[in-house]
Amino acid sequence: MPNAPSDTVLSAGEALTRERAGRPGPAPRQMGFFTDTTLCIGCKACEVACKQWNQLPDDGFAFTGMSLDNTGHLGASTWRHVAFVEREEPLPGSGSPRDGAAAATLPFAELFPAGQPGPTSLLRDIAPSHIETPVPLGPTEKALGKFSWLMMSDVCKHCERAGCLEACPTGAILRTEFGSVYIQPDVCNGCGYCVAACPFGVVDRRMDDGRAWKCTLCYDRQKAGMIPACAKACPTASIQFGEVSELRARARSRVEQLHSRGVSQAYLYGADAASQPGTEGLHAFFLLCDQPEVYNLPPDPVVPTAKIVRSWWAMAAGVLSLAALAVGSAVTARRS
Amino acid sequence: MTNGTWDPTFDAEKTRDARNVAPDLGALAGEGALQRVRAPERGGDQRQLESERPQRRPGEVVSAEAEGPSYYGLPVLKDPVWRWYIPAYFFTGGLSGACAVLGAAAQAAGGTGTEGLVRRCRVAAAAGAFASAGLLIADLGRPARFLNMLRVFRPTSPMNMGAWLLSEFGGEAAVAALPVVWRDAPRWLVRAGDLAGYGAGILGLPLVGYTGVLIANTAVPVWQGTRNTLPILFAFSGAVSAGALLQLWAPRWLHAQPGRARHTGPKMVLRFGRVAKAAELAVSFALDREAAARAPRVAWPLHRGASGAMLRAARGLIAASLVVDLLPRRGWRQRRALAVASGALAMAGTLLLRFGVVQAGRASARDPHATFEMQRRGRGGTEEAKNRGVARMPSLPGVEATGKESSVAGPGV
Repeated sequence: MPNAPSDTVLSAGEALTRERAGRPGPAPRQMGFFTDTTLCIGCKACEVACKQWNQLPDDGFAFTGMSLDNTGHLGASTWRHVAFVEREEPLPGSGSPRDGAAAATLPFAELFPAGQPGPTSLLRDIAPSHIETPVPLGPTEKALGKFSWLMMSDVCKHCERAGCLEACPTGAILRTEFGSVYIQPDVCNGCGYCVAACPFGVVDRRMDDGRAWKCTLCYDRQKAGMIPACAKACPTASIQFGEVSELRARARSRVEQLHSRGVSQAYLYGADAASQPGTEGLHAFFLLCDQPEVYNLPPDPVVPTAKIVRSWWAMAAGVLSLAALAVGSAVTARRS
Repeated sequence: MTNGTWDPTFDAEKTRDARNVAPDLGALAGEGALQRVRAPERGGDQRQLESERPQRRPGEVVSAEAEGPSYYGLPVLKDPVWRWYIPAYFFTGGLSGACAVLGAAAQAAGGTGTEGLVRRCRVAAAAGAFASAGLLIADLGRPARFLNMLRVFRPTSPMNMGAWLLSEFGGEAAVAALPVVWRDAPRWLVRAGDLAGYGAGILGLPLVGYTGVLIANTAVPVWQGTRNTLPILFAFSGAVSAGALLQLWAPRWLHAQPGRARHTGPKMVLRFGRVAKAAELAVSFALDREAAARAPRVAWPLHRGASGAMLRAARGLIAASLVVDLLPRRGWRQRRALAVASGALAMAGTLLLRFGVVQAGRASARDPHATFEMQRRGRGGTEEAKNRGVARMPSLPGVEATGKESSVAGPGV
């Protein structure tokens, strides 16, 4: 397996040592994604890299006719999906006093996590010195008036409390040492319960395969000390991979940075349990510039199991009255 | 490809698994490489690409502002992948469980005159349990792996609980039915059957109702939104179907015991059915109210579209069956005719109810605004956090409810 030492989150040697020792390292690291949608340019390199690395079959090359998004949604064989939102709104932050000019002074390295290659990972000798965010549309924007694109690379959220994991009746879905939620294809029997239990509509059962599939957070690559294929391929560092706690800190400073530049709409979606109690925080969280619904994300998702205890009590009340009814009808029928 | 000419093997590979990986160039070893592709031309993920038409009434206008934003109207959730086997299982499972309950009650309190009823209940419970298992296995994407359901004990998964329940229940029901089918059964087997009859009655109780919890424990708005009434509705619907089956499958009158005692069984079934039908009707209205209280949009599929029509028809059939039950009757011929009519109506009604509820869930999952509206009205995660913190499923000591026991080892270790 190709492995460049500078790309590692956990060096291959270290990973191997841990494996040979037969037990995991001192504290399993919680790895995840921070997807900064203000940096996404909608190139779909993540979709392609994901398909290619994981060797997923194609989706039939459909044409949706609604936008540049011909993928539509995440699915059994689509583990990254770039959403294209067309809005009759100005670009977030455009027209603010610091639009464009001030952004140019931002050193590029500031945007990147340690150990993650820059936007030109395949041509490492080329590194831009700055990035302009948000990217001004220039004359196009003036011609179109109130119009902007929002793009977001969607992925399995690897929830802290995962609906799919808690619903899985076979134990096929488990939490890995990297904190990701993983479906074991050799255990899954295709009952389809996780599909209905996921509050984000991520998991799907491929009909001709019979099993449920979703993003594995590139478990195989992480095992080998590499970062996930989508993060590796992302040319603008919109997809950032790293330790969740570190990503959270970085995301918060990014929001502050955007606010200071006039992008007042920027906020974090699902970054922690406080902002998203229903999932207790996502391991793959997002920086958004509009309501979650615009990106097809639920505004206040909840793991179904959080509400189910009362449902069991309701069932108990129902079936006990049923038992009383059965005994009662037996007794009265006998007497009459 | 060589010399720019089209390589037929490359072409063959493409149509076979839709991956375009030439076997001499790359090995299939990725995380998704094992994904089986049978019909690449149809694609695996195309089923939800078309925007679902919202279930609007003719002439009804819902403005985009009132609806709020969405992503081109595409569903936010995946609709349930279950085929007709699952609503059919809800029916047979409920029927079988309620038959066992009724049989155990008659065995305990019915006295003379209900022996025939007990026998029929036991046979129906056992047959229903086996039909249920068959339907559940048939719906799996990988039916050969059905036993994987029993490799863990996961209280957070109602489906896992149900798998354990059904397998235990099936065993009890089979033992109870054995002496009925095998007339020359030895004495010990008859005793074991009596004991198993009670066991099946006790296990039958959760079996009738848990399917309601199962579908309420999903992200589908109409199911999640009716989580407190759905299990009760399913419990009484199971009871109605059991009563209806026993009305249809009546004793052979000539062989019944002489005298008044022979009426005890049918009378018991009739009373049981009447109350169960009235309760089911009442709970079905309570269900509508619960859904509407979460958010109006959540209740849409209960009244509109195919699911609305099915649920209305189900309610009508149950009500009609109840009316037939209440008609005055004289003579055994008339009794028989009315019992058959009532039984048939109630059977159709309960069957339709299960299909209607599943269809409503499908429509609800396809309507992104149902999810958005419910959560915007504070019926999502914040509701839990505000009340008492996000609840966790209680579990037996030593059992990890959420299956986090695997967190250290990781897959494949």
